[in-house]
Amino acid sequence: MSFAKLWSIIHEPLFWAAIASLKIALSALLIGLVLGLAIALARMNPNRHLSRAAVAYIEFLRGIPALILLFLIYFGLAAVGIRFSSLQAAIIGLGLNASAYLAEVYRAGLEAVPKGQTEAARAIGMRRGQVLRWIVLPQALAISLPPIGNVAISLIKDTSVASLIAAPDLMLRANDLSSQTFKPLEIYLVVGAIYFVICFPLSLVVRALEKRGERKT
Amino acid sequence: MMDGAVVTPEMLLYLLRTLLIGAGATIWLTAASLVVAVVLGFGLALMRLSDSKVLQGIARVYLEIFRNIPILTQLFVIYFGLSRYGIMLPATVAATLGFGLNGASMLSEVFRSAILSVDRGQREAGLAIGLTSRQAFRLLILPQAARTAIPPIGNYAIGLLKDTSLASAVAVPEIAMRAKMLVAETYLSTEIYMMVAVVYLALSLPLARLTALAERRFSPHRSAA
Repeated sequence: MSFAKLWSIIHEPLFWAAIASLKIALSALLIGLVLGLAIALARMNPNRHLSRAAVAYIEFLRGIPALILLFLIYFGLAAVGIRFSSLQAAIIGLGLNASAYLAEVYRAGLEAVPKGQTEAARAIGMRRGQVLRWIVLPQALAISLPPIGNVAISLIKDTSVASLIAAPDLMLRANDLSSQTFKPLEIYLVVGAIYFVICFPLSLVVRALEKRGERKT
Repeated sequence: MMDGAVVTPEMLLYLLRTLLIGAGATIWLTAASLVVAVVLGFGLALMRLSDSKVLQGIARVYLEIFRNIPILTQLFVIYFGLSRYGIMLPATVAATLGFGLNGASMLSEVFRSAILSVDRGQREAGLAIGLTSRQAFRLLILPQAARTAIPPIGNYAIGLLKDTSLASAVAVPEIAMRAKMLVAETYLSTEIYMMVAVVYLALSLPLARLTALAERRFSPHRSAA
């Protein structure tokens, strides 16, 4: 089979599978961004129990492979009666995984905002919640943007792991197509190229953001 | 629902023993891949720092390709892709090669910035006392760069340790693969994957502590004082 013939068979399913992978990455990123912020705030809370629990959460999730987390959620929880579809398990697992990394990203960002900002806002009569919402968070987010971008890129690449619990992503589709056509090398190279086309421009954007951040400081 | 095997102390011991054999393979795979990554990564760093635009370009292209494609895809190209064309590597060799090639792209940046972080005056002083350019690099710059590179290498090794779980997808008998086989045998998926998580934590947390320690000891700001 010529490559042109192969391409005519695989390009459409791979395109849609890439979209599916991006949806998984985006959903997981949303979970990670929201949960990660909550964990970061818990980690920085003066309450010791709360901050210890946050540290344990972060260390546990950063200490185990994403694959094992997906196995725990998909196979482990099913054995005790909590059933998720492979797609749900992939999104939850990758989201939890990202939240641990993002919690540390947020924390670094929050700690980088000068203390004087909080003091000044308190001095003009803002409440603690208001200070966080209007003064500290916007600045912390701006600082955190490049590392958040890096987490997002890792997340897109990590969606490939979802195929190992048979979640419908790009790699799973590639596995199907490769066993149908017996052309694994061509198909995985095309799949690699698809990931590259998605991730490389994002890497360039993140690098530009990093450069801009360096110039400011 | 299929009934799981009864969780007796003997059963737990059997599971643990099998998983620890897998953990041994995980450690070997990590160490072997790390060696490949360090050697290739150092070569790439030298290419990027060379005067030749061609070498720089090749290293840049290599770096961008390997960093922007999932490691699982890379493993599948090497293991399933190449075997279709007669290059049949044993699973462990394919995985070591895959992680090593991938890791080289990560570590080359580590080495490059470590070498660049050494003060220019060091080289100039070396040349002034009569060392050749090569000698100055080997005797003055490399030892100092190596110190700076240790903490980021540690961080990379932690990531690599966890990534080796993906080798289970190409049938390397490391811990994740052993776990899958045990689950197929006993149906004790919750217990087994929890044990696997604990084993990974027991490996990665001490490594993280060690890296943090090295960070404090070897950071360039400290050693200057």
